[in-house]
Amino acid sequence: MVEHVEHRSGLVRTVLGLVPAQELGVVLIHESLLSVMPGAEYAPEIDMDKSKIFDILHRKLTGFRRSGGNTIVDHRGMFHGRDVKLYETLSKTTGVHIIASTGLGPERMLSGYFTTPQTHPPTPWPAEQFAGLFIKEVMEGIVVPRVERSGPAGIVTSIATQSGIVQIEENLFRGCAQTGMATGVPVSLQYGANALKDLEMVLSEGIEPHRVIIGGLDRLDAVKRKEAFAVAERGAYVALDHVGWSTREGYIDDRERARLIAELFEKGLGERVLISTNAVGCAKGHETKDIDFNYLLVQFVPILLQAGVLNEEIRILLEENPQRVLAVDAPATVKRETAAGSKQK
Amino acid sequence: MGKVNTVLGPIASEDLGITAMHEHIGFGLPGCDLDTQWWKKPEEAFDVTIQKLRRFREHDGKTFVDCTGIGNGRDIEYFQVLSRRTGVNIVAVTGFVAGDSALPYFRNKTVEYLTNLFIHEITVGIDGTSAKAGAVKVGVSREGLSELDQRIYRAAARAAVKTGVPIITHLSTEPELAIDIFESEGLPLNRVLMGHADVGQDADEERDKMIASRGGYVGFDTIGYDKEMENAPYWSRPRQDRVKHFLSFLEKGFLERAVISADANCCALGWPGLKGHSVNYLFEEFIPDLRKAGVAEDVFEQLLVRTPANFLTMQEPSLKANPLSNNDIGCVPIIKS
Repeated sequence: MVEHVEHRSGLVRTVLGLVPAQELGVVLIHESLLSVMPGAEYAPEIDMDKSKIFDILHRKLTGFRRSGGNTIVDHRGMFHGRDVKLYETLSKTTGVHIIASTGLGPERMLSGYFTTPQTHPPTPWPAEQFAGLFIKEVMEGIVVPRVERSGPAGIVTSIATQSGIVQIEENLFRGCAQTGMATGVPVSLQYGANALKDLEMVLSEGIEPHRVIIGGLDRLDAVKRKEAFAVAERGAYVALDHVGWSTREGYIDDRERARLIAELFEKGLGERVLISTNAVGCAKGHETKDIDFNYLLVQFVPILLQAGVLNEEIRILLEENPQRVLAVDAPATVKRETAAGSKQK
Repeated sequence: MGKVNTVLGPIASEDLGITAMHEHIGFGLPGCDLDTQWWKKPEEAFDVTIQKLRRFREHDGKTFVDCTGIGNGRDIEYFQVLSRRTGVNIVAVTGFVAGDSALPYFRNKTVEYLTNLFIHEITVGIDGTSAKAGAVKVGVSREGLSELDQRIYRAAARAAVKTGVPIITHLSTEPELAIDIFESEGLPLNRVLMGHADVGQDADEERDKMIASRGGYVGFDTIGYDKEMENAPYWSRPRQDRVKHFLSFLEKGFLERAVISADANCCALGWPGLKGHSVNYLFEEFIPDLRKAGVAEDVFEQLLVRTPANFLTMQEPSLKANPLSNNDIGCVPIIKS
């Protein structure tokens, strides 16, 4: 209970600044707003009309707000279309809190600057170098490339290749853990082939388990291995973040997902569970699942109730758990900001 | 004689004048813009770039070929302003510096897609502007000529055949494989500049001879990356080694197959660049070195004016080019001994 009191007073880094965690309301923790496959912006067939992009995202965020949603976390990191100035405007005009992420991955979405630097040999970036890049995005602000730094990143994220984490992704995961420890923001990771193994690797950096979210745990292979239970028992957060997806796409369907959630509560692990839809508000240059930000509230909550999940448990899933994990770890914040502040003077 | 696409529109080949064939306004590996350690004040970057281009004009330089591919910092509107303000013609390229600097969106594309992309940039415009590319850039990845590199080479060859622009390569590693691709697409080797043949770790006089004998251009186009310079990058080499290498190439009778350029950045984007290096090294250091070695003045006219014009002039497009035939047209030797 002591922990709860502390985090209730915690602050969250949104694109418009610090917000008390308890004001976040209903949170979707793993979503994407603008998602651009790196390079698509240079392709003549891709329409990057920013007014159209704004309209689409504005409509979807308004729909989410009308369905009772309050906060969205854009978890695609720094190199997949993230447009923090656009997110600021969207947050102001829709009233939805937006938390932007720093981070990179998976390997196939990296670019030459990180994988083949102009050194001989071209050694890919180590964890410390990634951490340096990510920490600055939390402490000094998100980059608008070659223009300025903007509002702070509120979470650090990465993704491993689903067939198994590769070396540079391990560097990314470790760099994320270092970022979490240095700044107090939570670390959100999509596991590769083995969630528990990836989690242990990250914990070996020294980060507390309750600062780590493992995503993708409603994947068929993870459910078969009961990884959600193992990850929650280890003290990390379990993200069942493909609500609305089904076996055709490699995930359990909503009824099974609801049963899994009920079971996690029965085992006393409900306080470690997060749910989200991995929806993309506006995709450029890649295919995506067609799902709205209000799907979870409108379609999935009734399924949860049918599965016997209590209203209070749904509140824990959608409000209390994400608020607790998104609240920046206070001691780290104070320490780092003092250091950064003195450097600026 | 013909025309060449510049960022301000096509110009007559006769108007190219002294041309630097492989340069950069600013190059950086994709993603470097996310790292603030490289950010410069735009007014300072503009100032230093203008100074270098103005000095290039003072050396009578008239045309600057920017070999920065898609996603490496190629910035067409900026090039247009620079060209207007300095009077230097700037030729932009389509294509990629190498497969490993192509961004994820392009990595899994087919040869057909890449061909159409390059043709679009040559015939319609780049990044939504009406500025058209004057050449196609291709190159070798750090691990060697990768499968993606080869797809880009093939697409570049098809685009070159269809539009008449030439190809400029980054590195001349694994030349046989590269040449096989060009020739199998019906592109004569005299439409290809095999670049960076002078880099330290990759110098190979037999290879240079093979390329030139088959009609290709050999690029001594990293001139000024001298080991003697402070913080010289890994591809640099002792200054006099490069001079000797180049003189040896001329002595074999390949003057008309030789290209010189500096591969310098006016203002580097994602790396420190080489302090003090610019396109002007050609006039201030390299040509004086050649003079000292007894090279005659008319050689410089060939290197800096006639060869670039021959190479850059757009050929009659062969819109019905058949990629499966005409292997022989790629091999006509154009050597003058």
